[in-house]
Amino acid sequence: MTGQSRRHPPHGRVNAGTPRSLRIALSVLATVAIVAPLAWLWQASRVPTVYSVMTMGYLDYGRGAMADMGGGGHSGHMQGPMVSEDSAPSRLVTDMIADPGRRADVRVDLVTRQQMLTVGGRSIAAFTVNGTSPGPQIRARQGQLIEVHLLNESVADGVTLHWHGVDVPNAMDGVAGVTQDAVPIGGEFTYRFVANQAGTYWYHSHQVSNHQVAGGLFGSLVVTPRSGIAQQVDVSAVAHTYGGVRTINGKAEDLRVPAEPGQRVRVRVTNTDNGPMQVWTTGSCRLLATDGTEVHQPTEVFGRSVTLTAGGRADLEVKVPSGGTAVRIQVSKATAVIVGPPGVTVLAPPQPTDELDLLTYGSPAPLGFDPSHPTLQFDYRIGRRPGFVRGWPGLWWSINGRLFPNVPMYVVREGDIVVVHIANHSGEVHPMHLHGHHEVVLARNGVAATGSPWWVDSLNVSPNESYDIAFVANNPGIWMDHCHNLKHAAQGMIAHLMYEGFDTPYRIAGPADNQPE
Amino acid sequence: MRTAYKVLAYLVATEVAVQAMLVVWFFAGLGKWVEGGGVLDKAAMESEGTPFPQVVGIIAHGINGFFVIPGLALLLLIISFFTKVRGATRWAVIVFVLVIVQGQLGGLGHDFPLAGALHGLNALALFGAAIYAGRRLRAAAAVGVDQPESRTAAPVS
Repeated sequence: MTGQSRRHPPHGRVNAGTPRSLRIALSVLATVAIVAPLAWLWQASRVPTVYSVMTMGYLDYGRGAMADMGGGGHSGHMQGPMVSEDSAPSRLVTDMIADPGRRADVRVDLVTRQQMLTVGGRSIAAFTVNGTSPGPQIRARQGQLIEVHLLNESVADGVTLHWHGVDVPNAMDGVAGVTQDAVPIGGEFTYRFVANQAGTYWYHSHQVSNHQVAGGLFGSLVVTPRSGIAQQVDVSAVAHTYGGVRTINGKAEDLRVPAEPGQRVRVRVTNTDNGPMQVWTTGSCRLLATDGTEVHQPTEVFGRSVTLTAGGRADLEVKVPSGGTAVRIQVSKATAVIVGPPGVTVLAPPQPTDELDLLTYGSPAPLGFDPSHPTLQFDYRIGRRPGFVRGWPGLWWSINGRLFPNVPMYVVREGDIVVVHIANHSGEVHPMHLHGHHEVVLARNGVAATGSPWWVDSLNVSPNESYDIAFVANNPGIWMDHCHNLKHAAQGMIAHLMYEGFDTPYRIAGPADNQPE
Repeated sequence: MRTAYKVLAYLVATEVAVQAMLVVWFFAGLGKWVEGGGVLDKAAMESEGTPFPQVVGIIAHGINGFFVIPGLALLLLIISFFTKVRGATRWAVIVFVLVIVQGQLGGLGHDFPLAGALHGLNALALFGAAIYAGRRLRAAAAVGVDQPESRTAAPVS
């Protein structure tokens, strides 16, 4: 034995005693053990080039009245594979239309284009409606039938129009690949629906909506009540960020609204961006409506901001002071609406540290249904985990623990009273938007709502928050139930609500290249 | 294989340094933009386009952190099986685990800002581990440890 032979290398040694071939085999095995599951996950995450939302994910029959759905009892939670495409549902989404024999009260022609726009001195590759962004505001009185004729002049990916917050018949919902094909260049589509709900809404494309809405393909829709409104001035403020430039009604400057001292002004603020913003005023205001639905007995709000989630609307009432000054409504710190005598300036009020809590705002009123005895209950748990979506690795949003496309298809029957528990454990805020229905908030983090019925179609769900919401299944069809941070939707945060027995003739991708997200 | 291991280990360390630079570059740009009257809220953060050029820094930080560095760490782990150097896999595992922890802390930082502080601290640990993994391979190569022990060690009598 020599001293040399006893020396050990300072940092590493060979694997003594293991035959070379065995070592190689073990190394290969270890590699396979790492690579194979990844390859399998990658393969499983890929989606077909053409598919129906009906074959996506799994059917979720919820908890509740499942006995006659084959679920065997009222206490369990039933899930099942998607129906095969050759089963024969009785109704198609295309059947759900407004009365074709009724004449339209409001007719609008909308032409969509892809063009450059100058916003705040910046040249932006934009999408316009009738040459502008936002497109023209559509106004109707409650109960009127609106007919919108869409012509796509030059948007290469095709377009659709979705009536955000309006519970339209399913065929008019404007979701590419679910309720219609994307309208190609030169193509046309006519939307017809009765504006039964008075309130503030908006329309936007639901084809490649992530890019088209960000690029400006949207506009405002206002339905005034039959009895009119109590305010003397009615103004809309549509907030949007174009390529980093904050705007109101398409202009990167404050919106000035002339109003006389003592007049009451209704300011309809719409957030068309992907994230929530705060809205607050000088003095006080009242929050008249959320997402198009009136608040019952709204009280004066002092020193609090209103959280306006992505896609959401808030109708504020401000009163022009009698002393010749104006009121300033901050729509985030970046933009403002100034209401009052022309030329009067108002300094921006400091942003309140507290937000108005709609759980306790206003006074209780009848809901029109009893959510304490739901016939169905669902979970919509939002998480975030590593995995593959459409073959791409990443840290992806999950719904009930699963990644797109293995997301739930919530199955309801007409007349169901549905309660959904939405919980956000993903570390980011999500503006949750259910198409075709209005939901009432029952509780947040287990604390029951005690104020006015808080109706939403776009709900701001912050990290570590949970909401219990309820709605009546009264608008048959197939409806998207997704995050209205449209980037998140494009990343797979999309589920659907379907009425039993419905099907769609449309396909995601396919010849029309439908890409609703 | 050893060269690949060394290169990957040093690449991980380099990427950690790049990550630190990118995120500070972003915050410096954000500060300058806010000083000039820019407003950052969630709506601005989630908009398309770049309100200030250094936004690219945080986007690149995300892509690097979510995709590139975990990919490099995974490759390092796989390569380590074939280096025939004792401890190579152990250090590749340490680097890989620190990368995973780093991603988790980065994500958790959205909920708990303190996790963001640990994200910064863990970056130093990851940087150190990656440098050490690369250096010990070089040291191992210098003393010829790739030779099977039976050829260099005399039989024990």
